[in-house]
Amino acid sequence: MAQDRNDNVATCLASPTDLSRRRLLAGLLTAYTASLIPWALAQPAPHAYRGAFTALSAILVGRRALDAAQSSRLYNALAATHPHFPADVHALLVLISQRQIDPLNLQQVLDAEQSALAPLPRLIVTAWALGVVGSGEGARCVAYESALDAVIVADVLKPPTYAYGTYGSWTLKPR
Amino acid sequence: MNTPTRCVALLVSMGLLGLFIAAPARGADPSDATLLQRGQYLATVGDCVACHTAPSGKPYAGGLKVPTPIGDIIATNITPSARAGIGRYTEQQFSDALRKGIRADGKHLYPAMPYTSYAQVTDADVHALYAYFMHGVAPVDSMPTPTRLPFPFNIRLSMAAWNLLFLDSKPFTPDPAKSAAWNRGAYLVRGLAHCSTCHTPRNLLMAEESSHELAGGAVGTWLAPNITSDANSGIGNWSEQDLVDYLKLGHALGKAQAAGPMAEAVDHSLQYLGSSDLRAIATYLKTLPAQHEPADTHAIDRWGAAFDGMADQRGTPLPDDANRWSGAQLYDAHCATCHQASGEGSFDGGLPPLFHNTATGRADADNLVLVILDGIRWTDASGVHMPAFADSLNDQQIATLASYLTQHYGNPAATVSAEQVRVLRAGGAPSHLVALARWAMVVVVLLILAIVILLIRRKQRRTSSGRP
Amino acid sequence: MSVQLSADIVVIGSGIVGALAARRLAQQGASVLILEAGPRLERARVLAAFRNSPIKGNWMAPYPPSRWAPHPIYVPKDNGYLKQAGPYPYPAEYIRAVGGTTWHWAAMAWRLVPNDVRIKSLYGVGVDWPLSYDELDPWYQEAEKLLGVAGADNTGSPRKQPFPMEPVAEPWSMRRFRERLAPAYPVVANTVARNSRGYDGRPACVGNNSCQPICPVNAQYLGINAVEAAEAAGAKVVPDAVVYRIEHEAKGRIAAVHYYSPDRAEHRVTGKTFILAANGIESPKLLLLSASDTYPTGLANSSGMVGRNLMDHPSTSLTFYADEELWLGRGPQSPSSINTLRDGPFRSQHAPYRLDFTNISQVLSVTSDLIKEGVYGAEFEKQLRWRAARQVSVKNVLEVLPNRDNRITLSSEKDAMGIPKPEAHYAIDDYTRRGAEVSKADFTRIAELMGGTGLRFSADGQYANNQHITGTMSMGNDPTTSVVDAFGRTHDHENLFICSTGVMPTAATMNSTLTAVALALRTAEHILPAKDAHATASHRGREGNLA
Repeated sequence: MAQDRNDNVATCLASPTDLSRRRLLAGLLTAYTASLIPWALAQPAPHAYRGAFTALSAILVGRRALDAAQSSRLYNALAATHPHFPADVHALLVLISQRQIDPLNLQQVLDAEQSALAPLPRLIVTAWALGVVGSGEGARCVAYESALDAVIVADVLKPPTYAYGTYGSWTLKPR
Repeated sequence: MNTPTRCVALLVSMGLLGLFIAAPARGADPSDATLLQRGQYLATVGDCVACHTAPSGKPYAGGLKVPTPIGDIIATNITPSARAGIGRYTEQQFSDALRKGIRADGKHLYPAMPYTSYAQVTDADVHALYAYFMHGVAPVDSMPTPTRLPFPFNIRLSMAAWNLLFLDSKPFTPDPAKSAAWNRGAYLVRGLAHCSTCHTPRNLLMAEESSHELAGGAVGTWLAPNITSDANSGIGNWSEQDLVDYLKLGHALGKAQAAGPMAEAVDHSLQYLGSSDLRAIATYLKTLPAQHEPADTHAIDRWGAAFDGMADQRGTPLPDDANRWSGAQLYDAHCATCHQASGEGSFDGGLPPLFHNTATGRADADNLVLVILDGIRWTDASGVHMPAFADSLNDQQIATLASYLTQHYGNPAATVSAEQVRVLRAGGAPSHLVALARWAMVVVVLLILAIVILLIRRKQRRTSSGRP
Repeated sequence: MSVQLSADIVVIGSGIVGALAARRLAQQGASVLILEAGPRLERARVLAAFRNSPIKGNWMAPYPPSRWAPHPIYVPKDNGYLKQAGPYPYPAEYIRAVGGTTWHWAAMAWRLVPNDVRIKSLYGVGVDWPLSYDELDPWYQEAEKLLGVAGADNTGSPRKQPFPMEPVAEPWSMRRFRERLAPAYPVVANTVARNSRGYDGRPACVGNNSCQPICPVNAQYLGINAVEAAEAAGAKVVPDAVVYRIEHEAKGRIAAVHYYSPDRAEHRVTGKTFILAANGIESPKLLLLSASDTYPTGLANSSGMVGRNLMDHPSTSLTFYADEELWLGRGPQSPSSINTLRDGPFRSQHAPYRLDFTNISQVLSVTSDLIKEGVYGAEFEKQLRWRAARQVSVKNVLEVLPNRDNRITLSSEKDAMGIPKPEAHYAIDDYTRRGAEVSKADFTRIAELMGGTGLRFSADGQYANNQHITGTMSMGNDPTTSVVDAFGRTHDHENLFICSTGVMPTAATMNSTLTAVALALRTAEHILPAKDAHATASHRGREGNLA
């Protein structure tokens, strides 16, 4: 798996069909969104929609580096759970690009306009940050230790059920 | 009596009294606290308690069964009980038992008692040990069952021949070309700490191969690894601090943890050694000639990397059949809690990472299987360091899990089968030494018979052909 | 196909209380059978199930109810097992499985304070217990030794002998509370059934911060440990045995119990003495179910009190951001409390309470908040770290007075086995509400002392349930107003005993488990006195020796 991450970029860039995909993706992104995720054009994107998903995810969670394998898994899970998911992602990315919406204002804007895309950011962030796809009785866990909420605090905390350390190690100041 | 005479008499009697008090009794002065303390320390270094105390038994009262390929050897009572222990031993007898393997009644001890190592102990240290065992240990009047090995090994006299071949009975002499620390370390390692008893390979007659000092041996089912200075097969890339930590704490962060018999050695003995003694041992160990195993192409504490086996299967329910759990699922349910999801261990390293760990880096995975089965449990207040999984995992599960661990965190060439686990769980493959020895004797007897018959026949032929 | 089982002692329910009573009786030489409605569980599977579950805040996720022995589930959807008649919901969670509900608890092992058993005489509220704190003391001690309780002497409950273990190491976050709230509020270490060193062959805590729903390493005492100890002492556990009727003879002696196996086959179990230990809801349910011509209102119910006086420890809380990084989530979930508000003359006016500081990781909570608030972009990670480091919470644990209208009855709805479901009738009265109101001042002061911002009080009139199911089979000297006597023997049936938090006639302010265990040990001793003094102190579990 670690190997995958490193090799993907090289192999994807080497493929001739990749150029057309890159152009497609480039079409989705304006200078604005590209500034948010400058690496997006180089990101392995065997599928334009997957690339859009990764780009949109990066914008929403504010992280420039997202694990490709995880992105793929979450995309699959979300696409399987929600109808029109790939098209919606595409549409939202276009919206953000064209209107240069700041991620912090995004939800407000979508809610105010009663946009059909309003639920989408929460779906995506819930998947990345909490590792959950679907809701209510249909909710599924797709990540836990590698969910962003655990990763973001991984220098200080272990996720619940994982040992913090030998007895008494928690008495020390956290950092 | 006039005054001067009285004074003289007083002085003389005081002098005599002084002599009486100050003169050490034969062997030891029981009120010399320093000597007793020294003796106690040396007994700790020698780890006498590990064999001479039964589980939940009184200290030094014997009774522990030491399993050997030729049968169980039962440790004796070495408390100063006159009836059941060594209470009647003189210092010379104590010294002979300790350094020559000869009991007070003249019988030979089996080298399960590591007298071949203790032979190095100096007279002064023997003196302190004797004082401790006579006056610092509580006498216990119960006698453990005497050792009864199967024929022909019950003939203790055979040990005399064995000793002739293999016992170097000279006490340690320091090497003037080496530092004081090196000499102290050599004295401890070769002597009281008797490291070679486990860590030096043995020949067919079960004697240590001195040319392969500390190149690796076995203790029952456990491998006592190569601790020479080889960078791949041994401890060559360990710093002095790593070694000191390992001996004192039972682990070297980011390298290794003591388990099985070594955990016992740290628990009972090594953790109590003074820091200068520990550094001396480290100094000596690092100068041992490197013994390299050709199979070790890679340092055994540098294998593997962080790996999250559950990342792509989180949310997948477990199979009902426990034998169908994957290595990743077994790891998740039983190991990841302490060793963490990617095998990276806790922040403080006290719950160790599984990669860059000798536990997973050896080509021989027996110790890995054993530590999963037995866990690590110290007898002091620290208690359970790692739980035992013998009751919660079956042979197939342990095989799947151990193979998963070596695959992703250790030496991928080390695979584990369920049969291997089964054998280790049962205490190892049964030894054929007793049978071998008996057959060997039968063969020898037959050979002698054959030779005798041949000689008789030859004599008969000569006689019959030579007669007029 | 009926299987005839029989034993000297038949225990219904294999939770920590029933199992420890069973153990003691088995040690005294009785043959003991424990009937458990639910299945056997495996710690490893529970752990994996939790990690794989989508709603990490739902601690019941790894304990799905079995078809034949359902227990209440509320998330993601109420399974409608525990019916709520109101006016206020009583959404207790419990586990019907071998080991019972303490598979998943915070291991709070508190004693009462002496005045807790005399609030009627002292304060004119509630009822007095039929025994004194002093009578309970040696049983508390034995219970603490069995569970392995770690604690210090400064928590308000007098004791004659030291705790088995030193208090569990204090997390940094709790230390800062203790330092900053002194001297106004003394913060003390909770007395917990959690190892602060190797104990009884089990390891010391390594700070998994998941006490609820499961301690992965067995550093916390669980009901399953009690079951294993009972089995080691010779008791036999029969899982998947749903007792649906207690059968009596003409004169009221209990003759047998009847249970269904999951295939709904009927089985009859006879015995000499019966102990009902199926928690404070399932036990009264069973007594009511066992109504007969002789006992039309149910067994042990001549007082009409079976199921009545249902109590709990409701909680309200304050969540806020401290002005320094505390990082809850390092170490055990429930380390510290303020105990000085549990007793005093005010108890005639309003409920007393313990104040509890959580050390549960706030990461899930703050992440959910951020998603709800629609915080995206670089701010997301920044806010997550800032909030997770500072968000803290304090809650009260309020006393509820016994009220005959608060009760468990039989619902008209039946479960999958055709057994009537339990129904809760419950309300929070003014005595408790006034206590909650008073505690708000403490919450505010605590936040002030911690430089708190972003104060969020729990909604007015909203009380969290703490699953301390008490009162439903109260003990008392008067058979017209109580169900069991001071030794847990039902007034109506000389060979039927009850071991449960349900026998506690008042709730006090402390988590009920240790008290219920102490009472159960006392009941066991009463049923079968120890043959010699050593037996009282001995507690050889699976490992043989205590570390």
